[in-house]
Amino acid sequence: MKKLLAISGLVLVAFLLLLWEASARLGWMESSNWPPFSAVLIAMWDGVKSGEFPLLVGETLSLMLIGYVAGCAAGVVMGLLLGLSSLLNRFFSPLIETFRPIPIAAIVPPLILFLGVDAALKIFVVAFSAFFPVLINTLGGVRDRSEVLRQTARTFRLSPLATLWKIVLPSALPAIFAGLRTSLGIALVVTIIAEMIAGSSGIGYFIVQAQYAMQPAPMYAGVVWLAIVGYLLNRLILKIERYSLPWHGAS
Amino acid sequence: MNSAAVRRYLPGTLAVLLALGGWEILSRSGVVNRALLPPPSVVLDTLFVVMKSRAFLTPLAHTMTLMFAGYAIACVLGVAFGIAMGRSEAIHNLFEPLAEMIRPIPKPALIPPLFLFFGIGVKTMLIIVVLAAFFPVLINTIQGVRWVDVTLVNTARTFRLSQTALTLKVILPAALPMIMTGMRVSLGLALTLTILAEMLAGESGIGYLILDMQRAFQIRQMYAWVVVLAVIGVALNALFEWVERRALPWRGQ
Amino acid sequence: MKSISLTNVQKTFGTGPNALLTLKSITLEFRVGEFLAILGPSGCGKSTLLQIIAGLIPGSGGDVSFGGVPVSGPPAGMVYLFQQYSKSLLPWRSVAGNVALAFEASNGDSRARIRERATGYLELVGLSGFENHYPWQLSGGMQQRVAIARALAANPRVLLLDEPFSAVDALTRVELQSLILDLWEKQKLTVVLVTHDVDEAVFLSDRIAILSRRPAVIEDVIETAIPRPRDAITTREHPRFLALRHVLMERLLSRPAVK
Repeated sequence: MKKLLAISGLVLVAFLLLLWEASARLGWMESSNWPPFSAVLIAMWDGVKSGEFPLLVGETLSLMLIGYVAGCAAGVVMGLLLGLSSLLNRFFSPLIETFRPIPIAAIVPPLILFLGVDAALKIFVVAFSAFFPVLINTLGGVRDRSEVLRQTARTFRLSPLATLWKIVLPSALPAIFAGLRTSLGIALVVTIIAEMIAGSSGIGYFIVQAQYAMQPAPMYAGVVWLAIVGYLLNRLILKIERYSLPWHGAS
Repeated sequence: MNSAAVRRYLPGTLAVLLALGGWEILSRSGVVNRALLPPPSVVLDTLFVVMKSRAFLTPLAHTMTLMFAGYAIACVLGVAFGIAMGRSEAIHNLFEPLAEMIRPIPKPALIPPLFLFFGIGVKTMLIIVVLAAFFPVLINTIQGVRWVDVTLVNTARTFRLSQTALTLKVILPAALPMIMTGMRVSLGLALTLTILAEMLAGESGIGYLILDMQRAFQIRQMYAWVVVLAVIGVALNALFEWVERRALPWRGQ
Repeated sequence: MKSISLTNVQKTFGTGPNALLTLKSITLEFRVGEFLAILGPSGCGKSTLLQIIAGLIPGSGGDVSFGGVPVSGPPAGMVYLFQQYSKSLLPWRSVAGNVALAFEASNGDSRARIRERATGYLELVGLSGFENHYPWQLSGGMQQRVAIARALAANPRVLLLDEPFSAVDALTRVELQSLILDLWEKQKLTVVLVTHDVDEAVFLSDRIAILSRRPAVIEDVIETAIPRPRDAITTREHPRFLALRHVLMERLLSRPAVK
């Protein structure tokens, strides 16, 4: 009985997929834009064989990763600075709190004016979005135990640099990783958004184009591949986190 | 004004003034192309003109209504499902795989399929906002419910509270901090996706306007609306924090 | 009317090779209206036993009954007070609101009436005037009083106290002990107190059940036979008190180490 309950969720998903397939084949839906699930699978496979999807994924991911790394690096550095110096924190806080809540979609059009619709735009937008969660988390991680740790470092007569490297940074790492994980999810979403609004390449752009061309099967195929990529990215960063922080139970 | 308050607020205020001043100078002097980035004084001026005109309230109302409607629905559904899934292992097992399959899909990517299938219109846009805002609330509610201190649950049990009373009087308030965290994330998502949907659906609302004005090269108006959006974002954040503090007075004690 | 009855109660945590036999066999008849202390060192399963009596966790074997009826869940007429009382108070409710939790479901009283009753119970524990305070604004001792008032508000016949005074300072402890004795007498309750404090057990109770280390059995049940009413200072100087305390301390301190 317990085993039945455990797989009930998968049964539900399988049932829904079957329903999808049947409804499309039997013509229950009036819309012509309701392809059977099998057609989507075929389109997914075709896209891989032709090399189209790997190319799209590559385009999306490469730009995303550059922006992500840039944004995260800036976030960590800034977070450390603001965490260690309360003066700097008070200086930058209002500016940060003003820019942080702006919906990313809203800053894309102005940025198009400066950066065009290509790589530069996407990298900047991703970096901008990835910056804030990492900043906030790093800041929190540093300030959380900063005082006790700094006293500890002082009793061992550590230099400021050694304190930073040996004590402050490792203790803030769990929080930093939480920020990195959040930012990764955001980075993917933001890349897609940028591609949809101002795109000329990548999966986001592809999906929108498929919508305009009224080609549902490839469109859904793109969405599914995107979901898989997102899922794998998340697993990847969890693995990296577990590897780098073996002493810290997964949060 | 005492020196402690000055120490607290002066650096930040200074930063904002410097930023604005720098923007004004860079733009006016032509270091940055004035056509692409007008100085803040000009943007503000344009903003007032727009606000006084008739074309201000309609897009604002459109965007805000869409966002709040979607957000409210998502919160209600998220909390309801979250409580059910958090309390009952059976219900959790039933819905979790489905939720975990939909969750990693970047919600913007669902916009074209939904437009294609349901047509481009307000109803579809509402579905999009709900889908996006639903998951953070759901996940956080489930976690909040599961992490309710067992002592509180056992207290309710020793006083023989009914299941309903237990859920409403103990579990829900105890999980509220986590739920509100999820609701805060969802607020940002709801706004973002409302704007995005408006940009892609291209009919009305702030999102549509911003994109349209960029394409029509009405730069000053575009920036005016971006400022409006920034103000909305900051205001929503502040409002949420205020609500959170009043709803959870015992936090931070 | 029978009170609590334990017959051969067992409790094992976990399964397979990691299974932990906490309670081996507990048999005990409680008397209506008595004050009984369960005394034993830390980790012997006293709290577990109390929670089984309270119907909060099931036993792995044996029978627990209350008033002749088997216990399968928290029974009416019995209230359990938690060791971590501050975690058992609802932080979002006022003191009065917490007390009201115990009875608000039952009769659909008006809010004013509920408020009135809660205030009454708070008076019993000496917290008049604190109705509108919140738990975090109170000291540990006061929080414990709120928990006690709340328990009384459920109108129980039996109070189960799980090391209720271990987390407060010594003076507060003495005050709270006197309070409990007072309430026990006035409300004609049956009280089961779990403690590792010999002084406390001897001072408060009519009988003391001594629990061995894991896997636990009841080693002995001793009648304290100290006259009532008991006084915070003079009873602690009573010869019978001192003698009993001596014997019990020797027993508990000379235990061999846990296997």
